[in-house]
Amino acid sequence: MRGKPTNQKGDGRGIVWIQGLACGGFVAMAPAASLLIGALSAPAIAAWMLDRVPGRPVARVVFLCGAIPGVRPLLAFWNLNVADASTAFALLSDPLVLVSAWGAAAFGWLMCQILPLGVRGYLEITNSARSVLLRAERETLIRAWGLDGQ
Amino acid sequence: MHDPSAFHASHPPIGGCFVVDPARPLLGAGGGLPSFGATDLRSGRTDLMAVAVARNHPARAGVMRDLTEGCANLLGPLGFGTGPGSGGEPAYYVVCPAPPGPALTVSPKPWPEAALIAMVLRPIAQVLCHLAVKGVTHRAIRPDNVFISGPGKPVALGCGWAAPPALHQPAAYEPFYSLMCLPAGRGNGTTADDVYALGCLLIALASGIAPLRDLDDAAVLRRKLDVGSFTALAGDLRLPPIIGDLARGMLAEDPDHRPTPAMLLDPAAARGRRVAARPPRRAQRGLTIGGMTAWDARTLGHAIGAAPENGVRALRDGTVAHWLRRGLGDAALCAGIDDIVRQHPTGSVDDEKVTDALLTLRVVGAIEPLAPLFWRGNALWPDGLGPAIAAAKEDPATLGFLEEIIATEAIGAWAVLRADRCDVFALRAEARGHRGLLRARLPAGGMARLSYALNPLLPCGGGLAGSQWVCSLADVVPAMEAIAQSAGDPCDADVVAFIAARSPQRFDIELSALAAHPGPGFPVLPWLRILARLQGQYTPWALPGLARRMAEQAGPLVARWRNREHRSAVEVRLVAAAEAGLFAPMIALLDNTARLEEDAAGAIAAAAEVGRIDAILQRIEHGAHERAALSMRCGQEIAAGLGLTALAITLALAISG
Repeated sequence: MRGKPTNQKGDGRGIVWIQGLACGGFVAMAPAASLLIGALSAPAIAAWMLDRVPGRPVARVVFLCGAIPGVRPLLAFWNLNVADASTAFALLSDPLVLVSAWGAAAFGWLMCQILPLGVRGYLEITNSARSVLLRAERETLIRAWGLDGQ
Repeated sequence: MHDPSAFHASHPPIGGCFVVDPARPLLGAGGGLPSFGATDLRSGRTDLMAVAVARNHPARAGVMRDLTEGCANLLGPLGFGTGPGSGGEPAYYVVCPAPPGPALTVSPKPWPEAALIAMVLRPIAQVLCHLAVKGVTHRAIRPDNVFISGPGKPVALGCGWAAPPALHQPAAYEPFYSLMCLPAGRGNGTTADDVYALGCLLIALASGIAPLRDLDDAAVLRRKLDVGSFTALAGDLRLPPIIGDLARGMLAEDPDHRPTPAMLLDPAAARGRRVAARPPRRAQRGLTIGGMTAWDARTLGHAIGAAPENGVRALRDGTVAHWLRRGLGDAALCAGIDDIVRQHPTGSVDDEKVTDALLTLRVVGAIEPLAPLFWRGNALWPDGLGPAIAAAKEDPATLGFLEEIIATEAIGAWAVLRADRCDVFALRAEARGHRGLLRARLPAGGMARLSYALNPLLPCGGGLAGSQWVCSLADVVPAMEAIAQSAGDPCDADVVAFIAARSPQRFDIELSALAAHPGPGFPVLPWLRILARLQGQYTPWALPGLARRMAEQAGPLVARWRNREHRSAVEVRLVAAAEAGLFAPMIALLDNTARLEEDAAGAIAAAAEVGRIDAILQRIEHGAHERAALSMRCGQEIAAGLGLTALAITLALAISG
C-alpha cells in the first residue's frame, strides 16, 4: 500500500527520463532537424509546459494545429541533400514558415477557447427547453391529481 | 281544523280496513284512554272503537299477536296501527269493538248476589278462561273498564291492550306484589291476578262502595300488607255470603291459592274450595326500618326493599336477624338471612351500591318469595322491564336504576331465589341477552336499543317523534324523508337504535360500521347502505330529500377520488342520483372499490412522475458546473478532432505530392 504511489511516481519519472533520453539522443544525432522542429513547435512546447490539465488537451490542439503548416518545411528539409543547421536556419529565416506555424498554433489555442463556449451555449439552450416542457408536464400532473400539498 | 280527507289520504286504513274518525270521541269507553269511533270498511261495521295509545306507554304486542280470535263479552283487539289524531297529528290506535253500553259504576245501591254471579262473575270468568287458553292476561279489570249493555245482560271486559299491563289499575285492584312495582313495570302477571281484580270488583259491586277509595297507593299497599287483601278490602263490609266466600278465595295473597277462572264458572263449587293458607307469623314487637314498622316477614321484606339503605344497615348490624329470631320467632328464616348476609361480599366503595342492592334483592327474595324484583327502593317484574324503560325515558333516575338491573343481570339472581315459581334458565338467558344489548356499541346499543327491543310497538323517539308515529321498519324511511324535507335531522341515535332493535340480524354489518365510524364526520356510507336496503324492501320510490341530505354529507367520500376529472364526474353523477332519490346508485358511485383503487394507483404513479420531474429539474438547475466541464471537454475534443483531421489531410496531400 505504501509502496504503490512510490512505484507510480517512479514509473512516471522513468517515462520522463526515457522521453528526455530519446529527445536528447535525437538532438545529438540530428541537431539541425531538431532545431527546425523545435522552432516550429515552440508554441506547442510552451503550451505543453503551461497546460496543467490532465491529458493536456489545449497543448494537443496547439501542437496538432501548429504541425499542419510545419509539414511542408519539414518535407523540404528532408528532401534536401544537405540537412545541416544552415539549411534549417535558411528555412526558418522565411518569415512565412514561422508565422504560419505559430499562427496555426494560435488558431488551435483559440479553438480550444471558443468551441467549449459554443458547446456550453448549445447545452444551456437544450436544457432550458427541456425544463420548460418538464415544468408544464409537472403542472398538468399536479392539477389533475391534486398533488398541491406534495 | 283538520281536513278528514287529507287525513285519510295520508293515513291508510288500519290493517287495511279500519278507519278512525277522530271527530267522534267515545267518552269513557277506553278505560281511561282516549277512544274514538271507528269503521270497518270491509264489513261496514260502525260499532268499533279505536283506543289511542300513549307514546311512552306502548300497546301490548304479545296480546295483539296471540289474541286473534274473538270472544263473547270481551272487547278484543281487531287491529292496530297509525291513524289521524284528534289534534291533527298522527296517533296510534288499537281497534276493538265498541263497548255495548256504559261502564259499571259503583253506586250506593249494591248489586244483588244472583245478578253479580250471572252478569259479572260468570261472563268474566268465561273471558278469563278464553284468555288463559290463549296465554294472555287482561290486567285491566276495574269498574270503568267493564261495560254492560242493559239490565240482565252480561258485562263485557273492556280494552286492556292499549297500554302496558295494569298501568291504569287502581291500587285496590292489584295484589300487593304488583302494587309494590313501578306502574309501568307490573308485567303481564298471571290469570290469578285477573281473578284478584275480579274479586275486588265483586266486592265493590256487592257493597256499593269503591274499596279503599280514600287512601293513596302507598296507604293501600300498607293496609293490604298489614291486614291482608280481603280484610283490607272487605273487612267491615256486609257482603252476600257467596260473594264473601268467593272474594276471600279470590283475594288470597298467594296466586296459587286463588280459584281458577274455570272454577269460578261454578260458584258453589268454588265457594266450597278451601285452601289452607298458613297465617303469617306475627311478632310481638315491631321492627322499624326506614319509617316503616314491620310486624311480619312480608312487611319486613317490603320495608327492606323500599328503604334499602336502612335495610342493609339493619341486616349488617344483626338487627334483622335478632328480630327474626327473638321477635318473630322464625329461627329457620333467621338462619337463612344470616347466611345470605354473611356470604355476601362487602363491595368496594365504587360498587358498594350495587353490592348492597344485590344483597337487598336476595334478602327480600328469601323473606318473601312472592315479592317482585327490588332494586334500590324500586320494584318491578322482569316482564315489565320493557314498559318500565319506555315510561322512564324522560326520567334519568329511574332509567339509571333500570340500567343497573340490566348491567348486573339482577333478573337472573332474582330468578334463582324463586326457582319453583319461574323458569330460571329462561330468565337468566334473557338477562344475559339484555346485558348484551346494553353493552352493544352505541348508537346501536344501550338503553335506547333495549327500549325498542323489549317494546315491539314502542314508536321511534328522537327526531322522528316530532310529528311522526313510527312503529315498524316500513315506516322509518318515509318518516325520515319527511324530516329531511323539513330541514330537520333524520339520522339521530334513536333511529339507529330503533332500526337495530326492529331488525336484529339484517343490519349487523351496517350498524357495526355505524358504531365504528371514526371521528366527528357523518357516517354516510353505513347510512346509505341501511337506507338503500330499507328503500329496496319497503319504499321502492324516490326519496329525494333524504338522498340530497346524504349527498350533502358525502363530501369527504367524494374527496377520496384523487383525480380531479374523476372527482368532478362523481360529483355530477352523485347529484343526479340524489335528485332521482335512489340510494343504490349513490352507493355504487361512492363505494366503487375497484375504481378507487385504480384512482389511488394513478395518484401514486402521478406523484412518482412529479418526483422524477422534480429530480430532473433540480439536476438541470444545479448542473451548471457539470455542464461547463462537459462543454469544455467536448469543445477541446472537437478542436482536437478538427486539428487531427486537418493534419491528416495535409500529410496525405504532402505525401501524394
